[in-house]
Order: sequence, then structure tokens, then C-alpha cells
Amino acid sequence: MANQTVRADGVTRNSLEARTLPRSTRKSRLYLKRFLRNRTAVAGVGVFVLIALFGMIGGHLVHWTYSDVDFLAIGTGPSRQHWFGTTGSGNDVYAQLAHGIQRSLTIGVLVSLCTTAVSAFVGSIAAYLGGRIERIVLEIIHFLLVVPSFLILALVSNSVNGNWRMLIVVLIVFGWMYYARVVWTMAMSLREREYVAAARYMGLGAAAVVRRHIVPNIGSMLTIHFTLGVVTTIQAETGLSFLGFGVKTPDVSLGALIGDGSSLLYSAPWQFWFPAVTLTLLTVSMAFIADGLRDALDPNSRAGGHA
Amino acid sequence: MTKYILRRILGWALMIVLATNLTYFLASAFLDPRANYLQRRPPVPEFAVDANLTRFNLNDKEPILHRWWDWITAIVLHWNWGASPEGASVNDQVATRIWVSAEFVLGATVLTALIGIALGVFTASRQYKASDRILQQVSVVTLNIPTPVMALAAVVAGIALNNQLGRTVLFVAGSGSVGTRGFLPGLLDGVQHLILPTVTLVVTGYSGYHFLQRALLLDNIGADYVRTARAKGLTKATAIRRHALPTSIIPVATSIAFSIPGIFTGAVIAETIFGWEGMGRYFVTTISKNDIHGAVAVAAFGSVVTAIGAVLSDVVVGILDPRVRVS
Repeated sequence: MANQTVRADGVTRNSLEARTLPRSTRKSRLYLKRFLRNRTAVAGVGVFVLIALFGMIGGHLVHWTYSDVDFLAIGTGPSRQHWFGTTGSGNDVYAQLAHGIQRSLTIGVLVSLCTTAVSAFVGSIAAYLGGRIERIVLEIIHFLLVVPSFLILALVSNSVNGNWRMLIVVLIVFGWMYYARVVWTMAMSLREREYVAAARYMGLGAAAVVRRHIVPNIGSMLTIHFTLGVVTTIQAETGLSFLGFGVKTPDVSLGALIGDGSSLLYSAPWQFWFPAVTLTLLTVSMAFIADGLRDALDPNSRAGGHA
Repeated sequence: MTKYILRRILGWALMIVLATNLTYFLASAFLDPRANYLQRRPPVPEFAVDANLTRFNLNDKEPILHRWWDWITAIVLHWNWGASPEGASVNDQVATRIWVSAEFVLGATVLTALIGIALGVFTASRQYKASDRILQQVSVVTLNIPTPVMALAAVVAGIALNNQLGRTVLFVAGSGSVGTRGFLPGLLDGVQHLILPTVTLVVTGYSGYHFLQRALLLDNIGADYVRTARAKGLTKATAIRRHALPTSIIPVATSIAFSIPGIFTGAVIAETIFGWEGMGRYFVTTISKNDIHGAVAVAAFGSVVTAIGAVLSDVVVGILDPRVRVS
């Protein structure tokens, strides 16, 4: 492609082409520049990276693991032996916290990734196909929204008995509906575009049109939703584990830790405040990142100056 | 208008019936009342377990469709929602708890919407000024504070306040004190118990409306008809109030219905922490005690609350939006 332009237009265009960067690089640099402009978002990335690093390597810095029990220190406060204190059964809160972050983040990222993919596909295929299929899909979504999903989640996740892999599946199955409806509204306007019509007349199948032309065009929205989805999932997981329906002992997540600590607010405050502050920092930092991404990716966003 | 609302109510009623029945089958599949007898010491003989379960229509040895039919006919004919594995009537439980929950959720729902919309209007008319930016950041933070953390922080703050004042002003547990007599003392006592939970639900819930209302109002402030109103000499505040706000509030009103399940979820956690014996607390108990009939009743309550929110928002939209009135 580049060679052809050079041959047709001669030297002037050639030197111009040489100076401009490839398109994709320019775009990502623009996004980066716009993202960096948002100071809270940058701070969010900083906090998030710190927490994620803590989750990944924090556990290796001490010689306790999250399930080790130290019978010599049961329910003791922060000390040199146990940096964040121990629980009533002698588990090291620091090691549990590192493991809990890992568990909560894994669940959050995986669930959000899958729900985003499912809702993008379902929403856009419904909008693209239209007619009866669209109506049926919308009815199903609407119906699932009436069913108190948190209750169903608790019902099902309680019976998987704290198996976090099954919890992920359950959260995906009951988590895609609302966003699928949002995607549907966005894809509605895309299906009328010329390039979608062109692709259709070229004989492309519905799945291919959706994959190549509709989903990439709502890509920035999907990126933002993915980030927010991590927050929503972590919140849902926290709620479930807090009530005792999600991740269960011996496994720990941030929600389970908070649930354990909540009854010891005054007698063992370290058991509550360390996980609580970490969880809040995690969700808030992710939300600020999502905010920054929205400013950076959304061409209509006018928040904060020029690119 | 009345016809439109009636049609919507009918549609929602159908949805509730479907959702409740679906939950019955799900609950029967995932909750196992038989497990309640497994840990009994001395062990209960199987025929006794069977007899007990059959008595309350919970025996998993009977075909599910059979049980479902008994369950649904009892509801339709006698409004009897069944019994827990221990034999406690679901009707009795729900009858008292429903009012506790209503007190808990309705006030918070109304406040959440009012505060969110007010903040949205306030910040939209001061777009990109310091107050707008600060409130925006504050809302991002509050929206993402997990409910258990917020509720427990409220408990800590309430206790600190009580210690500071030397007497109990804000109660951190329960929905009312025992032995309160008379209307005014009762009301005061209720409010004292309600403040902390309501603050929890409102703080974690208002920002959705804030963002939505702000974005929608900003779209409308720039519209031609608002500019015309300004050109005719209306002040900015009047132009927003009379022209931009009524149009932009419609989608917000619609979204209230969809936010109610979220408030209910928040209420489950908040009721657990603040020790309110409402539907949220009941929900936790039913699931951990394998109480199929109770869990289904909670699901029905949840969808009824959603439907009430949806119908109310339909009414509001009908009042605000002339296009709906005409059709």
C-alpha cells in the first residue's frame, strides 16, 4: 500500500509519508497523552499497580502462607512477626490479604472479560439481525433483569461451596444482561451505517459482520466497561463472600476477610481495617482509571482541555 | 394515561409470576433441606426425615412438578407461601419483615434519587468549575466504596459520636428499642435507628443519578429551545428549571426502576450489619438454612419492589412526558 503511493505521487508524498508515524502508533500515543492529562486517573493507575504488585509478590516476602496457622500468636495485633497481626485462628493477616487481593482480582478480571465479551456479542448480534430474534433476546434480557440476580447468585454460589472457579462461572452467567442491553442500543445505530451494509452485500455472514465491523466500533466503550466491570464484580464477590455465600474458608478473598473482621471491629480492628482499606483503594482506583479511559478513548468527551 | 399505567402493571405482574416460579425451580435445585438433618446427633432415621419433609412439601423424593403444583395451588387458593424446613410459616415471617424492609429501603430510595438529581443539576449548571470537578471526584469515590466497608465505617462513626456526646443518639443495631410508647417517642426512636443505615445506602447509591442527570442536563442546556428561552430574557436558572430539566429528568426517572434491585442488594448487606430483621436478613437466613419457600418469597418480594419502582417511574414519566400521555 505504502509503496504504491510513493510510486504514483513521487518524491513529495514520499518524504511526507516518511515523517508521519504509522496510524496505530499515532492513535495510541494520542490516547496515552489524553489519559496522562487526567491526574486522578494516573494516580489511580499508581495505586492499582501497587495493590496488584502487593497481591502478586507480597505473599512471598513473609514465610507465612495464607493458610498457615501460628499457634503461638492467636489473635495478636500487628507485630514484627506478623506485620498486619493474626486472626482468631492464628492465620497471618498480611499473607491472607495478599492472597485475598490475588483471588478477588482474578475473579474480577476474568468475570469482567467474559461478561464484556458475551454482552458485546449478544447485544450486537441482536441489533444486527433485528426482527424476531432481537425481540426474543430483549425479552429474555428484560426478564432476567426482573429476577433478583443477587439472590440467584447467592443461591447458586452457596451450593458451589466456596469453589472460586465455579463462582466465576456463576458470576458470568448472571452478569451479562444489563450491559448486553446497553450494547444493543449502541449497535442499533451502527447497523444502519454504510460500511455495515457494504459488508452485508459483500456476502459476509452475521457473525463475521458483528466481529469485524460492529464490535471494533464500540471497542472503546467495551474497554471502559471492562474496567468498570472489574469493580462491579469485585463488589459483587465481596458482598457474597461477606455474607458467607462466595469464597469460603480455607480459601480467602477480600470480602471473606472483611466478613471475618466485621464482628471484631473493636477487639481486633486490624482484621477489618487492613482488608477494608485495601478493597476500597482497589475499587476506587479502578473507577478513576475507567474515568481516565473514558476521557482518553471517547471522542465526544470534552472533560479537561485539548489533546 | 390510566390505561397505559394499567397495561404496564399487568405486564409487570406477569413478569413477577414468571420470575417467582423460575426462582422456585432454581431454589429447589440448589437448596437441600435434607442436609439440615445430616448433622443431627443422634442421627434422625430416614423415614422420620422423609415424613417431616413431606409434611412441609419439601421432600426431594417427590417429583418436582408435583411439589411445584402443591406449592402454587396453596398460594393461589389460600395465599399460603409454605413453611420452612422447621415448619415456621413463611407468611408470618414475611408479614412483619416486609414493613421493616419497606421502612429501610423506601426512604433510602427516595433520598438517593433526590440527592443524586439535585447534585446532577447543581454540577451541570456549573460545568468544569471547581465545585463541579470536586463533587464529581467525590461521587466517583463514594460510588465505589463497597457497601460492607461503608456500613461498618458508619457503625464506627456512630459509636464515636455517641461516645463524644455521652449518650446514645444514633443506634447502630436493630430497628427499634424495646418498650418505646407513644407516637412521637416511637417516631424519634425509629429515626434514631434509621439514620446510619440510610446514610450508608444513600452514600453508596446516589452517584449513579448524579452522573446520569449531569450528562443529560448538559446535553439539553446546549439545545436550541433552551437558547431560545434564554434569548427571550429568562435567567439561566429559570431556563434550566422550566425547559431543560423536565426533558432531561425523564431518562433518570426510568433508570430509578432498574436501580432498585441494587438498593435491595445493598439492603441485604446493610440489614445484616445493622441487625434489622427485614427481608434482606431473612434472605441470608433462608439460604443458609435451605429454606426453599422462604427464599422464593424473598425473590417475589424483590421483584414486586422492582415492579413498584418501575410503575412509579412510569407514572412520573407519564406526568413529565406529553408524548406518553397522548399515546
